[in-house]
Amino acid sequence: MQILAVEHFSFAYPDVAKASLKDVSFEVEAGSFNVLCGKSGCGKSTLLRHLKRELAPFGHREGTIRYRGTPIGELPDRDAAEKIGYVLQNPDNQIVTDKVWHELAFGLESLGYDTPTIRLRVAEMASYFGIQDWFLKNVSELSGGQKQLLNLAAVMAMHPELLILDEPTSQLDPIAASDFLETVRKLNRDVGTTIIITEHRLEDIIPWADQVLVMDKGTLIARGKPSDIGVFLQETRHDMFEAMPTPMRIYAGTDSKAPCPLTVREGRAWLRNTLEEMGLPADRPIHFNKKIADDENAAASASTDQSDHRIAAGSQAVLWPTDSERTDVSGRAADKEIPAIALKDVWFRYDRDLPDVVKGLNMTVNKGEFFALVGGNGTGKSTTLSLLSGLRRPYRGKILLNGRDIVKYTDEELYYGFLGVLPQNPQTLFTSCTVREDLYAMIDGMKEKKSRFYPIDMKKSEAIAGISELTMLDELMDRHPYDLSGGEQQRLALAKILLLRPQILLMDEPTKGLDNHYKNQLGRILKTLTTHGVTIFMISHDVEFCAAFADRTGLFFQGDLVASDASRRFFSGNSYYTTAANRLARTHFPDAVSAEDVIAAIHACQAEVTAPENGATEGSGKREVATVANAPDGDGVTAVAGKTVGHEDKV
Amino acid sequence: MKHTDAFGDCHPAVSFLFFMTVILITMFLNHPAVIFLSFGGGICYAAHVRGWRTVLKRHLLLSLPLMLVFALINPLFNHYGVTVLFYLNGMAITLEAVIYGLVLTAKLFTSIIWFDGMNAVMTTDKFVYLFGRVVPSLALVLSMAFRFVPRFTRQMGIIRNTQKCLGRDISTGKWYERLRAGVRVLSILITWALENAVDTSDSMKARGHGLPGRSAFSIFKFSKRDALMLIIFPVLLVLVLIGGLRGALYASFNPKIMIGGACPLPVAVGAFICWGLFCFVPILLGLKEDMTFRYLQTHRGRDGAAIWYMNK
Repeated sequence: MQILAVEHFSFAYPDVAKASLKDVSFEVEAGSFNVLCGKSGCGKSTLLRHLKRELAPFGHREGTIRYRGTPIGELPDRDAAEKIGYVLQNPDNQIVTDKVWHELAFGLESLGYDTPTIRLRVAEMASYFGIQDWFLKNVSELSGGQKQLLNLAAVMAMHPELLILDEPTSQLDPIAASDFLETVRKLNRDVGTTIIITEHRLEDIIPWADQVLVMDKGTLIARGKPSDIGVFLQETRHDMFEAMPTPMRIYAGTDSKAPCPLTVREGRAWLRNTLEEMGLPADRPIHFNKKIADDENAAASASTDQSDHRIAAGSQAVLWPTDSERTDVSGRAADKEIPAIALKDVWFRYDRDLPDVVKGLNMTVNKGEFFALVGGNGTGKSTTLSLLSGLRRPYRGKILLNGRDIVKYTDEELYYGFLGVLPQNPQTLFTSCTVREDLYAMIDGMKEKKSRFYPIDMKKSEAIAGISELTMLDELMDRHPYDLSGGEQQRLALAKILLLRPQILLMDEPTKGLDNHYKNQLGRILKTLTTHGVTIFMISHDVEFCAAFADRTGLFFQGDLVASDASRRFFSGNSYYTTAANRLARTHFPDAVSAEDVIAAIHACQAEVTAPENGATEGSGKREVATVANAPDGDGVTAVAGKTVGHEDKV
Repeated sequence: MKHTDAFGDCHPAVSFLFFMTVILITMFLNHPAVIFLSFGGGICYAAHVRGWRTVLKRHLLLSLPLMLVFALINPLFNHYGVTVLFYLNGMAITLEAVIYGLVLTAKLFTSIIWFDGMNAVMTTDKFVYLFGRVVPSLALVLSMAFRFVPRFTRQMGIIRNTQKCLGRDISTGKWYERLRAGVRVLSILITWALENAVDTSDSMKARGHGLPGRSAFSIFKFSKRDALMLIIFPVLLVLVLIGGLRGALYASFNPKIMIGGACPLPVAVGAFICWGLFCFVPILLGLKEDMTFRYLQTHRGRDGAAIWYMNK
């Protein structure tokens, strides 16, 4: 039975010529799990809002949306509110009242239920969602994950038949996010609530989906079962596959005719079969990616030979002082040996009576390096960042920036042209009505006058032009900062920080809430910055992003750095804390950490197999080495992975 | 959330009525015995919910000296009364004015102590509930306000830190720079609040806010004990009133000190006992529960008990 039918629906915002939605048609079966995906700004949110009458944006619309056969505009007010639930993106903004129990009851109060009914429903919800432990708390005491769970429970208390979720986990950490998504799935399975969800974390939810809807530029380009979507993306090579789960991305990058894998498990089986079909030893590790060595060489040359990279984007380079100018900032000769950031036995706790948060931390970040710190929630990552940014001071140990103790820097030395801190929420930086004004506000206005914030000779307009080109803001200069999408806001915040010409850039989860497209853009910008000699220190939950862009990655646990290594080696050495691509392909390609690596490896294998002359010899050679490595099947393989170094050249 | 005490568990209406009555009567009556009894009940209760240490520090060490200074002001400006103690700069300082000053101060001091106890018991959600009963829409507005305050404070801290890391700290620099930095923080905060309020309003609309016939839910239950309280209170108060009508609660300090009920008439004694009982209801209730717990603890089964060295 259909619960929802969208028929030739089009929509345009007032005074905008281009339609946001064009001739969208689809049906949703009652009790099904539907995933709507597409790049940021493709009209996903606009479409979802139209499904919830109260939130539908104002503008010109055509076509109809039917809920159980009734056009959605003709539903009684009460039903419209009660039967269709809607959970928004930001956990904090949705909460209306100050107490958890009151929030749960809010919707039922609106519907005018009496106290005994509400008491029962609230009790049911609290028990089902495991809220009873914090039922009496103030909402301000909850964590982000708890807040979003509360929002979900508050909606479910009204017993909706259709639940719409608009990127509900974008502001949550990975563990809270998968808990939340599991709960949504459980609702769908146990209660039979129909789900329509948009999500960045497609890895988690695509395998559960009954129907996947793919949108691009306001139109629905594909819909169907998840595996059909994989085949569609493979056939069309549509750039939407950037946003798909890793197994589907790898699949779409090959010519495989097998059914599309959706999970890592299916992906492993698929890869094994694919390699066997090629006649390759599927149970032996192939050290394919020579890149490891290349990467390290590249990193080394980047830090020793920065002048080569100055050619990029003329005006940007001038913004950063040359090494000789830097001497007066650090107070010493700019020595390549001196790391940009060095922490020596640093201890910190928030209060004398509270437990230590940072415990004997030793860590160095070299100049021009992009260092990423990963680790679970509450391990002290953000605290470490606040120590580095000078907001807090350790009670033991030293923090050296460019070889000089951080306590010896004055605020002026520290924050003007030396240390840049990108806050987690970019909105805390926005002061003006347009992007342009906001950028100028950073350097004391449009007047060409030197000031503390702008001590260099370059014309301000050139500086702004350079920065906006680097951060791809050129086309957004006249927009209001709050009208930008999450990824664009992040880039604007970065641009503002960069106008202060930092040599060290500290970032707190810059990829939070961004889709893959924006992540890649951001990653490329950051890479460009490191070629200018900017040192980047980032804390992140985003394993894939770190693997793709960071030079070095460290794992933070219990207030200390447990391990750190070049990103590729770091992730290929881990079994759990690693990328989906590595988990998928580690048996065969232990060094591959991204979907692109795996695709490249498969293509190379194929090329090798089809190349007639050296196929036989090389193939046997490889088997030999693999046997020497004596890799057992399955999980034990990784232990051996790092040792077969000499083999890399052969493949 | 910490448990306050037995009286704190009563229905908000009971607690609120009690505190309002006891504070109003203490404010309006000048009779020293009435104030003294009220003081006794108030300080015992405040100590029960806040702990003796806090009460001693907060009230006896901090408020009391201030109060005494306050008490001396009355005789300096009022010169009524028949008993002149001495002359100061040609002005008569009278016993009546001194005593009245002390009584006024005692009333104020006692009320402050009651307010302290009330603050511990009447949490925000109880106020929200009570006002919601009177004006339903007010309950929501209050609840939202209580949500905003901690949220804004937090966001303000985050924005200040962000600005500090841009070298635009509020606490350093010349005064006009600091002023500008302060205004900037405020402006960022307000923009943020307005933009994000759109989400809040969406979330409210999505959950049917604005439909006719909104009800008000509460987690407070009206128990038998609450009903008993609402019977005991008026009975005690009526008895006090009878004593009052017979002049037992009369006190005047101008021009001569005249205090009613000084000779032990049964009706006066009754009124004072009733008033005393009324003031001591919260602490008695609390102590009774404490004793019950002590009894239960000594008579419980051993299954809940830890080995001696595990006990703190």
